[in-house]
Amino acid sequence: MLTKEQLHTLLDLGLKTGADFSEIFLEDTYRGTISVNNGDVISVSSGNTYGVGVRLLKGIDEVYGYSNDTSYASIEKLMKTLSGSFEGKPNHAKPLGEKQPFTYTIKIPHHAMTPEQKSKTLIELSNIIKNHDDKIIQAGATLIEWEQKVLIANSNGIYQDDIRTYTRAALTAVAQDGQLMQDAYDAPGRAMGFELFDAIDFKALAKEVAESVMTYLYADNMEPQEMPVVIHNGFGGVIFHEAVGHPLETSAVSKGLSPFAGKLGQKVASELVTAYDNGDEADQWGRTNFDDEGKKTQKNLLIEKGILKGYLSDYRSGKRMNYESTGSARRQNYKYPPTSRMNTTYIENGTENYEDIIKDTKYGLFAKKLGGGTVNPATGEYNFAVMEGYMIEDGKLTKPVRGAMLIGHGAETIQLIDRVANNKSYGQGMCGAASGSIPTDVGQPTIRVSKMLVGGQGGNK
Amino acid sequence: MFKNWIELGLKKGFSDVEIYSTRSKSLSIEVYQGKVENLTTSDVEKAKIRAVYDEKLVSFVLEDLSNEAVNKAFDQLILNAKALTVKEPAIIFEGSPSYPEVKENDFNFDKVPVADKISYLVDLEKHILANEFVKQVDVASYSENYGETTIINSKGLNLSKKHNFAYAYAVGVFEKNGDIKTGYDIKLAKTFDDFDAKADAQMAIDDGLSKLDGKSIKTKQYETVFSAKKFGEMLSVFSGLFSGEAAYRKITALKDKKGEQIAVKGFNLWDDPLNELAPFQNSFDDEGVASNPKKIIDDGVFTGFLHSLKTAKLFNEEPTGNAFGGGISPAGLYLAPGEKDFDALIQDIEEGFYVTDLVGLHAGVNHASGNFSLQAGGMLIKNGKLDHAVKMVVLSGNWFDLLMQIKGIANDLTFAVSGVGSPTVHVGKLTVSGEDK
Repeated sequence: MLTKEQLHTLLDLGLKTGADFSEIFLEDTYRGTISVNNGDVISVSSGNTYGVGVRLLKGIDEVYGYSNDTSYASIEKLMKTLSGSFEGKPNHAKPLGEKQPFTYTIKIPHHAMTPEQKSKTLIELSNIIKNHDDKIIQAGATLIEWEQKVLIANSNGIYQDDIRTYTRAALTAVAQDGQLMQDAYDAPGRAMGFELFDAIDFKALAKEVAESVMTYLYADNMEPQEMPVVIHNGFGGVIFHEAVGHPLETSAVSKGLSPFAGKLGQKVASELVTAYDNGDEADQWGRTNFDDEGKKTQKNLLIEKGILKGYLSDYRSGKRMNYESTGSARRQNYKYPPTSRMNTTYIENGTENYEDIIKDTKYGLFAKKLGGGTVNPATGEYNFAVMEGYMIEDGKLTKPVRGAMLIGHGAETIQLIDRVANNKSYGQGMCGAASGSIPTDVGQPTIRVSKMLVGGQGGNK
Repeated sequence: MFKNWIELGLKKGFSDVEIYSTRSKSLSIEVYQGKVENLTTSDVEKAKIRAVYDEKLVSFVLEDLSNEAVNKAFDQLILNAKALTVKEPAIIFEGSPSYPEVKENDFNFDKVPVADKISYLVDLEKHILANEFVKQVDVASYSENYGETTIINSKGLNLSKKHNFAYAYAVGVFEKNGDIKTGYDIKLAKTFDDFDAKADAQMAIDDGLSKLDGKSIKTKQYETVFSAKKFGEMLSVFSGLFSGEAAYRKITALKDKKGEQIAVKGFNLWDDPLNELAPFQNSFDDEGVASNPKKIIDDGVFTGFLHSLKTAKLFNEEPTGNAFGGGISPAGLYLAPGEKDFDALIQDIEEGFYVTDLVGLHAGVNHASGNFSLQAGGMLIKNGKLDHAVKMVVLSGNWFDLLMQIKGIANDLTFAVSGVGSPTVHVGKLTVSGEDK
């Protein structure tokens, strides 16, 4: 464990050849996974991620190095190697300040229970899924947990630690009837310990997953067409995350690689849309006390009544466009330099009941649950799989359809949002981008997009 | 060091202990607007302990290699073993009778000055920017990797291998008539001389230009041809179907299909970790089992599953050397080429869709049923020739039906950076969702 004085000496060393910013990111992460299938505990694995990442900046030019050797000698060698990339007059690191305190809110820490004790809950959930129907051949319940301890010190005087505790459970079902096969899953998570299972009704969720897999086992394939799409709350927010959230990160905006570059104060979305990214929403999956540059996280307004109000920024991308950090610097671990990323991103509630939106839709698709998807940030083109979809005919949900795929352009789609309900909720995911894979929440109330291209295979199968 | 770990594990009551360790070093450089924007170096040593306790196999991955951390890891592994309820074979391997010779690449990237790598990227960016439709280059990136893998265990196995390679790519942002598209290609190299800024830039330019002026097409079924690269990606995405683990869990549709016709005649799918045409060769898998070439699909007939030590034992078959990263996957997948060239393959297609772009393969594919719906782009085929670019459509079908209705395989076998190889394939009719009917 390095002392504060040693860290300061090392930060100062990094500035010897003209760099104007130096940073040391130390990490010690412990993780564990328990997998249960059809009532049996089939695997229990553990591991740690441990190391140091060193970053130097001169203006916006960045050099980075990382190693799992966290000794003084190793970091000293890294500082010397990296500073060799720069030439210039020496700068000096500011004295390191005091750590800002934070509250450790975890009620049942990961180490407080044995894997055997934890597995009892998972076995129960797996059995609920398995016993729902004879056609369910695989019933999975997997616990994923990790706790990341970090210490961040930089030449601007930041000296900050943080502990991020994550617990998530994935429920999966596979059903088969002759040649027909279908799967379903749900995987909520929180910045919590094992108390996650008190906070969320997993038994009800296990039943929902089992019901869903049986519904879609016999569903017709989606007939491809353009139509209005009602996107349900929670994980439905993934479209906003991908198609609007990513292009609002200053890593893209500062290079002009975003349809939203240079549009602050302009109307970019339907006036029904107000949206935030919150790095500090209690217990949320996407929350951290401090960001990965040691800055306190905050709630950031992105869009207000359709007008673009703000971007998400880290220190370096912000420097490129003269935009202050919004506490949004994140990285998967010490193997990545941080960049601007999302935490808990959502469209704010409107005023309507979501049932009314369906009632007012003559013909369309109700995308109850979305699966994964991708977006190309430079073009705004996105695609999302619909995991659970229903046809809407004369204002009523008529039949489940499977294999629907939504595609479009993000900047166009947010202009076409014509209804927003009042039932905002969140869904959890792992967001992959330049600085690795990080926990994020997506969220929204039920919304309607007046026209989308819905792909699918068509026919019965 | 690792020998001491094994002794410690045995002393703590484990019946067998194995240490799988990797040492990896890397350098990556990103150039933007003629300047180095990021340079990253790394050196990480990692170890995975696999150990058998009470006839149960458990594992722990460590980056903290201190004695204290190792001691704690073994204690945790005992707790992990106690939680396991399933009875499955727990095998630490004594080794294969012999291992194939694999030519190790001796590219030593330390010998090439960093300045040369930077100037390659600066040139790469410059050549792409020279194209009139390129608005900017998002990033020009170079990355080199060096790695050593060692497996030692209490049964006397002691194996090691090295790998090293470098790759580069640049993403061009193309614009024509307000339509924005990105174009890129990855160049994989075994020596630094393989990089050629002008030629490598041309690959990104060709990709970008091919997407410009794209139109949607009417929703209906089209005779569909996958480019070599895209069919390779499809083979890769659906390769989990061949996993012995999936067969054991009954989640692959192929579970009762060994010895049956699952593809058209003439369809020969290899898993050949020793193939010299592929970018990488491999002499053993992560459990220390020797690699060997095998046909997974022989003239359309499914010959059997890929196995780890565990699934081989469960099925009373031989391990196939396909245990990687805790799962089972192919080590050198490729589809054997046919005889026609590309022009001959498409010449009889009156109206069809040539797929050169597929997006979102992790999301739009249902592995269990084989159904897929994917964002796609490419070219319209008209009267046997490529016509105009097609953008933003959804291509849908079923993988198992597709394999049985393949109409032609070209002779242009190409390997992707991922290691998967495929020629261009005419798969028959698939549904394309585009403009209203």
